[in-house]
Amino acid sequence: MNTLTHLKKGFNHTGGVTRMVVCLFLFNLIFALLLAIPLFRTLQDEIASSDTASQMTESFDYLWWEEFNDRASGPAELFGPDIIGKGAVLLNLEAFLQFRFLDWPSSLLVFMLLYLVVHTFLAGGILSVFSQDAPRFSMKVFFAGAGHQFFRFLGLMALSWIFFILTAQYLIGSLNGILTGIKETAVSEVSPFIWNLIFSAVVLAVLLFIQMVFDYARILTVLEHRDNIFSSAWRALRFVVSRPLSTLGLFYTVFVCQIAVSVLYAVLIESFPQTKFLTVISAFFIQQLFIFSIIWIRCWLYASQLELFSYKR
Amino acid sequence: MKKLTVLLFVLLIFVLAGVFIHSEWKANRGTEVDFQSNAESVSPPVPVPAADEPLCPQVASYTIDVRLDTENNLITGTERLTWTNTTDNAAIELWFHLYWNAFSNTDSSFLRDSFLQGESFDHFREEDWGFCRIQSIFLVNGNGKDRTDLSTLMEFRHPDDGNTLDRTVFSLPLPRPVAPGETVTLDISFESRVPRPISRTGVYRNNYFIAQWFPKIGVLENGGWNCHQFHSFSEFFADYGTYDVRITLPSQYVIGATGEHRDVMDNGDGTSTHRFVQHSVHDFAWTTGPDYLEHTENFEFLPGRTTEITLLYQPYHRHLKERYLQAVRNAIHFCSLWYGAYPYTTATCVDPAFNSRAGGMEYPTLFTGGAYFLSPERVHSPEGVTIHEFGHGYFYGLVGSNEFENAWMDEGFTSFLDSAVTHEAYGPPLYSRRFFGVPVTFKEVPIPIESGGIDSHRNTSDMDILQRFAWEYMDGESYGANVYSKAELLLRTLQRVMGEDVFGNMIKTYSQRWWFRHPRPQDFYDAVNEFADRDMSPFLDQVIYGSGQLDYGIGQAESRRPPAGHGLYEGRFLKGRTAPGADDLFETEVVVRRFGEVIIPVEVLFQFEDGLDLRESWDGEYRWRKFLFTHAAKLKRVIVDPDFKLVLDVDRTNNSRILKPDRLSALKWTTRWLVWLQHSLEMLTVFGG
Repeated sequence: MNTLTHLKKGFNHTGGVTRMVVCLFLFNLIFALLLAIPLFRTLQDEIASSDTASQMTESFDYLWWEEFNDRASGPAELFGPDIIGKGAVLLNLEAFLQFRFLDWPSSLLVFMLLYLVVHTFLAGGILSVFSQDAPRFSMKVFFAGAGHQFFRFLGLMALSWIFFILTAQYLIGSLNGILTGIKETAVSEVSPFIWNLIFSAVVLAVLLFIQMVFDYARILTVLEHRDNIFSSAWRALRFVVSRPLSTLGLFYTVFVCQIAVSVLYAVLIESFPQTKFLTVISAFFIQQLFIFSIIWIRCWLYASQLELFSYKR
Repeated sequence: MKKLTVLLFVLLIFVLAGVFIHSEWKANRGTEVDFQSNAESVSPPVPVPAADEPLCPQVASYTIDVRLDTENNLITGTERLTWTNTTDNAAIELWFHLYWNAFSNTDSSFLRDSFLQGESFDHFREEDWGFCRIQSIFLVNGNGKDRTDLSTLMEFRHPDDGNTLDRTVFSLPLPRPVAPGETVTLDISFESRVPRPISRTGVYRNNYFIAQWFPKIGVLENGGWNCHQFHSFSEFFADYGTYDVRITLPSQYVIGATGEHRDVMDNGDGTSTHRFVQHSVHDFAWTTGPDYLEHTENFEFLPGRTTEITLLYQPYHRHLKERYLQAVRNAIHFCSLWYGAYPYTTATCVDPAFNSRAGGMEYPTLFTGGAYFLSPERVHSPEGVTIHEFGHGYFYGLVGSNEFENAWMDEGFTSFLDSAVTHEAYGPPLYSRRFFGVPVTFKEVPIPIESGGIDSHRNTSDMDILQRFAWEYMDGESYGANVYSKAELLLRTLQRVMGEDVFGNMIKTYSQRWWFRHPRPQDFYDAVNEFADRDMSPFLDQVIYGSGQLDYGIGQAESRRPPAGHGLYEGRFLKGRTAPGADDLFETEVVVRRFGEVIIPVEVLFQFEDGLDLRESWDGEYRWRKFLFTHAAKLKRVIVDPDFKLVLDVDRTNNSRILKPDRLSALKWTTRWLVWLQHSLEMLTVFGG
């Protein structure tokens, strides 16, 4: 069986548990709404009763935003023109690759950490559903699996953080140091630019590699009922290293699909006018369809990786 | 043969049609102004016949002859200074700048300031430090043959901060006083070492940018010598004169400098000597390097008025050449229209080398731009900085204000100028941000001209006042926020309060009146009051000598039916009393407030639901004013300063009030923020499960 077959199987399995994906999507949406509703109130207080309202309906009132940005606190500090269209995706990618999210307001970081913990809980459910011979979504299987695996997954998350922190501390630090050196002696800004892109790609590859290894560690934990997280991580690493073509091929195929969906979304949403109530609501559906797709692709990755692991084991 | 002739004829028609269509297309492009640019060439600069008649008294003139040693980064040579005492008092001594001694060690006042701003110089090697040393200085007596050696009389002075380790100013006692109107001549030989780039001067990989590099006399005013030390946040001040400069350097080096490139002489030893001459300027700068590409063209900026534009640009910025040139053309054209016709025969724009730290700086007839190799058109880079630095040719170059003491009179005026020219020529720029070094523009986010500087002014206005010596601002942020931002906002506010035409006449008059002279703030006051229909001094005082903010806003606005009366009316108890006709009327009450300290009259526009618009004026003297109306319709909208004249207003959002809130925009932008947050939450799961 080749990578495409595993991907196809994973695709079918994910398609068979659409209800689970919808639940995960709703969880994401509701969680995000907990912060978005206060922002809506803030924006309403700021602009609904002033001329800015009509300007912000037509386009983006930069003058107002500069004022708002000086007043904003908490998560609202991250409201700005960067979030428009492709900016939202690029902003997150940059924050992720350069660990800039650590500079975000602490209230938002606490909120995100909470999301991460709950999502770790849900990951046990996702893999339990996919580990069935014929994956079918039921609340019972999902939550039983989630509860059963939670502390093991939490341990794996903590273990993975050691590698993420090492990456942030040493790899990114070293690459930034090298980049500074390149800048200081460069003939033009072109070579630092190219090196910056290369270094970003290296960091991305390392971060995704760590993610992939710990994905397999979670899969291994579920399939083999392992309690020892160190052993799971070690075996997952050996599994990935001994089958680089299939594991990396599968991972990056899904990753490319995610990029393609993001590009498609950016093109679509930026050409979509949002000046009337109906168009704003329509755009909202496109936005949510995008998020749904991202979550669906994450589930597809899990399902495909689980298929691959089961087959190669 | 006949067929071939027909074919060639048809081909010719197509080529001509193509040329015509291309030129039409260019002429119709919205962002380009249709100038008559002609005679393009990429050959070395063709000497243009100089208009040798000086445009003003030549107070301090220099004849300089130097050699650049590219092995050791040394400039050695001589200068003959001819200086005239234009004051009413005799001069018993002369004061000079030696700017490059600011780069000798970390104890200079300049580098002490820089260190406080967080710069480190630990990585500087011995050969990276710069200096300017006088080797000899002679007073040339009347016949030109006798010379008196004054070298031993030099004394370093520290008029600004008493820093005895600073060597950027020295004084020279004279054997006999120079009487008012008398001229003296000095012969100075000097040696300067080009530093590693620190501030708009230095050498990086054979790219030299050479400014403030020779011993330069201060300005004698009636109050004494105006000759300040070199500070991190200060620029320059000098008298006008003629510069006749010979520079010898390796023959393969390309050079650009202040003034006309009169001739080049091959010395036969691998070096060439270039001669540049310019009268009626107060400084001379040059740049050289083997890698510069050069483009020269004549440009007719107004009917019958031409100048020669030279662009020196980097090979990796070839694709930006036309954008640089168009920016220079736009700048010369609009500045000539608005501030007086450009009087010099050359304008040299330099695209500085990477890491040269020479970007964004101005010298007479020569200025530097600066660009990132990926520059989307609507971001206005390199256009903005190019226009700004050319604009300094007016406010600093022609209007010779004192940059040490009145920095806002050049930076603020030029910031106002550059945003006006840029918006006129290109429209508003778009918001842009680099992700991984790749600039991404947001077409939904135009940056309005009113936003220029308001953010920094809002956040730092209480740190300093606008009129302050450049090195005395709290820090770089406050310096920038005042001399660039606040002054630009002041001018834009004045433009709208006075009216565009009146202001246009005022600024052109002020500019031309002070060409080749040294105006002070009061001279600007005088020009404003001469053209304004009222005394603007109280307003100017608040902004220039005060640190308060301007902020008008709506405190409260409501419309309601007159309430029914209740109580004793002429001895009778009534409950629910309504006045005759009151059922058809609404009472409207609006409180307009002055939240800031700055007082200036303001207009308020009231719009009612039946289409009635009312305009009222308020002097703004007290903190608030209540407006009461009784009208057949409810108030729909009220706005303070409806024509957006008061660009200095730090909070524009509170200027308007709509009585029926519009929640659609809040919904729209919340959904956009929501999807960003959802995406970031999902991306974060990489770190978990």
